Amino acid sequence: MRARDVRAAPVWPRAGARGRTYPVAVDVLTRNNVEVRGRADGPLMLLVHGFGCDQGMWRYVVPAFEDTHRVVLMDHVGAGGSDASAYDPARHGRLDGYARDVLEVIEALHAGPAVLVGHSVSAMIGVLAAVARPDLVDRLVLVGPSPRYVDDDGYTGGFTQDEIDELLDTMDDNYLGWSAHIAPVIMGRPDRPELGEELTSSFCRSDPAIARSFARTTFLSDNRADLPRCTVPALVVQCRDDVIAPAAVGEYVRDHLPRSDYVLLDAVGHCPNLSAPDQLVAAMRRYLAA
Amino acid sequence: MTAGPADAWRSSPSGLLVLDADGTVAGANDTFLDWVGRARGDVVGRVRLSELLSVGGRIYWETHLAPMLHVDGRADEVALELRTPSGRMPVLLTAVVERTGAGEGVRVHAALSSARERSRYERELLAARRAADRAADQVRVLQRATSALSRATGIRGVAHAVLDAAVADLGARAATLWLADGSGALRLHGSLGERTNEVGGLPSDPVLRQRQAVPDGDRVVVPLHGQAGLQGVLALVPRDDPGAEPLPLEVVTALGEQAGLALHRAELYEHSATVAHELQHSLLAHDPPVDPRFEVTTAYRPGVEALDVGGDWHDAFLADDSVLSVVVGDVVGRGLGAASAMGQVRSAIRAVAGPGVGPARLVQRLDRFVDQVPTAAMATMAYVEVELATGHARYVCAGHLPPLLVRARGGAELLWGGRSTPLGVRIPGRERREGTFELTPGDRLLLYTDGLVERRHRLLEESLEGLAVAAAGLRDEPPGAAVPALVQRLLRDERGRDDVCVLLLGWHGGPAAG
Repeated sequence: MRARDVRAAPVWPRAGARGRTYPVAVDVLTRNNVEVRGRADGPLMLLVHGFGCDQGMWRYVVPAFEDTHRVVLMDHVGAGGSDASAYDPARHGRLDGYARDVLEVIEALHAGPAVLVGHSVSAMIGVLAAVARPDLVDRLVLVGPSPRYVDDDGYTGGFTQDEIDELLDTMDDNYLGWSAHIAPVIMGRPDRPELGEELTSSFCRSDPAIARSFARTTFLSDNRADLPRCTVPALVVQCRDDVIAPAAVGEYVRDHLPRSDYVLLDAVGHCPNLSAPDQLVAAMRRYLAA
Repeated sequence: MTAGPADAWRSSPSGLLVLDADGTVAGANDTFLDWVGRARGDVVGRVRLSELLSVGGRIYWETHLAPMLHVDGRADEVALELRTPSGRMPVLLTAVVERTGAGEGVRVHAALSSARERSRYERELLAARRAADRAADQVRVLQRATSALSRATGIRGVAHAVLDAAVADLGARAATLWLADGSGALRLHGSLGERTNEVGGLPSDPVLRQRQAVPDGDRVVVPLHGQAGLQGVLALVPRDDPGAEPLPLEVVTALGEQAGLALHRAELYEHSATVAHELQHSLLAHDPPVDPRFEVTTAYRPGVEALDVGGDWHDAFLADDSVLSVVVGDVVGRGLGAASAMGQVRSAIRAVAGPGVGPARLVQRLDRFVDQVPTAAMATMAYVEVELATGHARYVCAGHLPPLLVRARGGAELLWGGRSTPLGVRIPGRERREGTFELTPGDRLLLYTDGLVERRHRLLEESLEGLAVAAAGLRDEPPGAAVPALVQRLLRDERGRDDVCVLLLGWHGGPAAG
């Protein structure tokens, strides 16, 4: 056959997994909106926010370590100033995927091993990262950790399966409500003239579709079996009264991590990094000095 | 006495609250207490607002609202749901933080308004948006899958595209495909994805009779119906990651419909391709003449990119007792039409060639022949007649690549004489020309089609030079080994897109020399 007949056929580019292709070397620091503060020659401390917010969660904690540590902040993909286009349903459908992101940030900084401080779901993301690469994680600080949010035989997670289903339904039904804080409000605010044309609140903004998926990943994961595999020393920080991660869950984490310390803060709620930063900082300092 | 500010607070149409720093209700108006159906003494100083919210609201409070109140000092028009005796009640909450005194003391003023109407409106908007998203998703996935299916050649190609679409586009963790064999029985074709053993075995008959995708235990099964019955069945298991979404049944159904039709088309296509292959094979299957004076070795290698047969051919026959004719040619096009045109031209050459005709006149007669057989027009060929007693050879190249003469004493040369246009193309005033050359005993003559030398990114001159070097290097190999070695050497950098046809003539010399 004459060659010209086949040459008319177009050559189609092969789509990547799920039809999306990413640059071979994603710029990890841009992807996760990584901010570096503090002492350039200090030991690395990476603070990772949990479900619902962004690196702004650490605003009252960061100043306390700027004199001693190289303090690094990041946003999970889909949250804060991250690159939402880097979201991959397969990778980020599991907490392992987020743990890989965290490890890539540490590697990209060429400064490990790190003190890895994880809040809420990122406490377990930190444990997974430490299990996978104990060489990159020096110590763990787990603020409000929970290896499983749903109750199970002989285990109290704090929520029944029905309640979590209701939560996910609520997120589905209440799409506008949950996403109400996504779009930054840039119009002027006559009642708050001090803000001028600035964003009224960019804090806690996240991509709504990713937030919904992150909720599923967060509240349907069961990582209890990973706790005994973690050889890195960890401090469990528990609030006295936390409806998301009750004290019984914090104690469970303490009892199943091979090398754990435990501190109970006299604080209410799930976010001691905002509601009781002094107590949290003091507990971290004591632990890191030991 | 007229109602004072305190009364206005108590009976405001909004639910009004004052909260402590940790969210405990420090004060509530009657409207709020009425909504939640609780006595003041059960609420004030006893519960936190988050405890009066639905689970979603509670988590939202802890993970979003409480942090925002801490950082921004306020939250505006946040949609939440109150737990009330008559079920969940949608409300909009606006809250501001008031610093009390110089120390850490704060309290939060919160106003809640009923949002039943807004909530219904939002739900309708959301439903419309979801329907639009779903339709867009479906179109996108189907476009990609349809494009992949239409590019796939053959049943194997379509089957691979179906499995690939299930895993890559629909996001299944694993997929398994069964295809109907000639008797209609379903046989396992293959699987793709992770832990494919968990997809399970052939679905039961009631499932196979469905016209759309149906859940079947943990998996989703979709029968693939073609125009002439069941072509196969596809089973998919969803990913089991916590964040995974269920498989969209309507999209799976649509993929199944496309796949069924594509398999049916592929089956028809393969059937016609098989006929063409058999025809071509039968036309080329004749053994070359066996004679102590010469040896003819041929090779035909079909291209892998297209399923259809091409129109390449080779032939070797005795034009009379003392003249050997060898020819390699190429008909335009692919498939059954090309194979049949090739057969006609090949037979015509045998019929026309004979004593006193010679290459140039043979081509002139073929020009008239292809006027009657339009599918053979524009065919090219290299035709050589060798006088077996002397080694004197006459040849024509009608639009074809030049024969390669490999000398027994070393070296190889391309024969650029005897050139003219493809069959059926006449230039007024230009006769068909012949070239001549002399063979010496042990010389070899190579005829070939362009698939052997034409490359996407290489000049033809370079390729021909490479061919000459390779053929000269194989001079001492017996012809049966030299031909496959040559084809392999020249095609090693190419996946063999195009058909390749090769004929090697070795002349041992006339009776006197023998």
